[in-house]
Amino acid sequence: MSNKILDSYEEVVGSLAISQLRQLGERLAGKKVVHVNSTRKGGGVAEILEWLNSLLIELGIEASWEVIEGNPDFFNVTKTFHNGLQGNQVVLTKAMIEAYENTVIENVKKLRPKLEDADFVFIHDPQPAPLLELCPKRKGKWIWRCHIDASNPDLNIWKYLKNKVEGYDASIFSIPDFAKQLPHPQYIIAPSIDPLSDKNCELSNDEIDNTLKKYNIQRDVPILTQISRFDRFKDPIGVIEAFKLLNKAVDARLVLAGGGATDDPEGMAVLEEVKESAAENPNIHILLLPSDAHREINALQRASTIVIQKSIKEGFGLTVTEALWKKRPVIGGNVGGIRLQVYNHHTGYLVETPEGAALRIREMLHDSAKIKRFGLTGRQFVRENFLLTRHLREYLTLMIGLLQGMRDHLYTKIN
Amino acid sequence: MEPENFIVKDCTIITRMAGIPSAMTLRELRERLRICSIECIYHHFCEILIRSSFDDPEYRNDFAVWASRYLRDRILAERLGILDPYKFDDLEDLRQKMIEIMDQRLSELPYIPFAKKGEDFYFMQATTLIFQTGIEIKEPEELIKFIAKMTNSSIYYHFIDSRRRNPFEKDDFSTWLIKFGKKYTPLLKAWEQIDFYFYSLSELKKALVDAFWDLKEEIQSVK
Repeated sequence: MSNKILDSYEEVVGSLAISQLRQLGERLAGKKVVHVNSTRKGGGVAEILEWLNSLLIELGIEASWEVIEGNPDFFNVTKTFHNGLQGNQVVLTKAMIEAYENTVIENVKKLRPKLEDADFVFIHDPQPAPLLELCPKRKGKWIWRCHIDASNPDLNIWKYLKNKVEGYDASIFSIPDFAKQLPHPQYIIAPSIDPLSDKNCELSNDEIDNTLKKYNIQRDVPILTQISRFDRFKDPIGVIEAFKLLNKAVDARLVLAGGGATDDPEGMAVLEEVKESAAENPNIHILLLPSDAHREINALQRASTIVIQKSIKEGFGLTVTEALWKKRPVIGGNVGGIRLQVYNHHTGYLVETPEGAALRIREMLHDSAKIKRFGLTGRQFVRENFLLTRHLREYLTLMIGLLQGMRDHLYTKIN
Repeated sequence: MEPENFIVKDCTIITRMAGIPSAMTLRELRERLRICSIECIYHHFCEILIRSSFDDPEYRNDFAVWASRYLRDRILAERLGILDPYKFDDLEDLRQKMIEIMDQRLSELPYIPFAKKGEDFYFMQATTLIFQTGIEIKEPEELIKFIAKMTNSSIYYHFIDSRRRNPFEKDDFSTWLIKFGKKYTPLLKAWEQIDFYFYSLSELKKALVDAFWDLKEEIQSVK
């Protein structure tokens, strides 16, 4: 990335929006900000941290991004946390807790000086949450950033985690539905996409065609795509069911494409189930992509007539945002952040079942004008609400506000 | 004496949970509306324009949207949807009016409308950071032309949020332009006629600028 990354966004969001970010950044120049999560590659959180960290640095903030390291046992436990927070009944044994906490203790040896010295520490998701209690000499504000839909968690998991996050100065959730009752302010910051990244930038038709050729996907019929990790919460089996129902009446191709993430040990098992369900149907293309296949994902989304995200649990659903930005209508599961992005008859349709997905896809495939109209509405909606410039602005606002003690003030004037 | 320069300010908000349990039924909504902060009511009526959300074409406040979408009670939604917060002397009056509407609806129905699990109404409020952009404007027409370039949040701060700060509930632009005598009276009258509560900020910005271009000759003919 160049030295003036922000300037390159002017064309998309306008110069005043960029100037606004620089003015807010000036108030935080020289402050030390540390982000901590559990993976540097794969998944929406790592993607957000990549650009967020770079832009904070450009604004003169001493930002850095640390990743806690662990063995497979550690990530099995954190996957249990993830599943439990999203509502699955899970078992958390003493041995699992011990393995988890020992790993965090190992990590804090390296991280403690930096974390205790920082003005702001953002801890992303549950994996690094115990770091707070392991940094007793911390001087800055600590914020727990929960990216997960934790609205109906397994109670044992939440009881354990709540104890770890109660001491934070604030927490951030992606949408109000995910917020938990905690003894500190809970802020709402929706995530965002980077319109200039490899995953979202404009692509030539040649590049799109080459990607399709690489994966033997013909463009003879409409392409429907779901991009997501192979995870049961993304309901890939339900998408295949919907496709089979649709395919009885309409010719189309289905692409199920996703990468793996280093903190997701279940992915391979789910992939096998998906392959079995597809039963070698030549119109269903299952692609396991490397975590850095951003341009290929971009090409697949752009080659699609309709994008599907039929999750049964979802954090925010950045794949929906990406599709809307590319002017593609979305068939989305009626859950989590998808509900904040897919508006019936405006940007796509929310569905509850494979039957509902099949019905709405069939309806749209019969009306190309509707597809175009939904696409244009979606693009404008994302431009105004879900680009990284808005996201960055809210982080800056939060930090300035916390510095100035905004909890009890409606207005905080900065000059 | 020359009026002072117009100082262009901007604002940004950060939303947070208001610290009240969510509501799943109309009765819960009514009870929690009774105790929520004024900032919370202001947020759900006025700040929806600058927070991240889809411009709902049907209703302009969160209570009406929720009544329609999740309580599936269009009668209640219409009664709440017509409420214009800027037509009330203060937001306590608006709160009382909403409670009356909800009481009336509860008395009309043989059941209590409820939302499905996961479709709760969440009480929110926001903190607004106000900052100077470093831009100062000397001439009225310079300001009017500059409005077209302003961020939506600047428009919000100077034209809408200003009504909570200024005497006589005027917007900042009019408060400044009035100091230049009668020349801009037609424009100020035109701006007063803008039913801004039903505009998005982009639409409002366009309406402000269009009003000037429509009246440009008349304004410039006044010496």
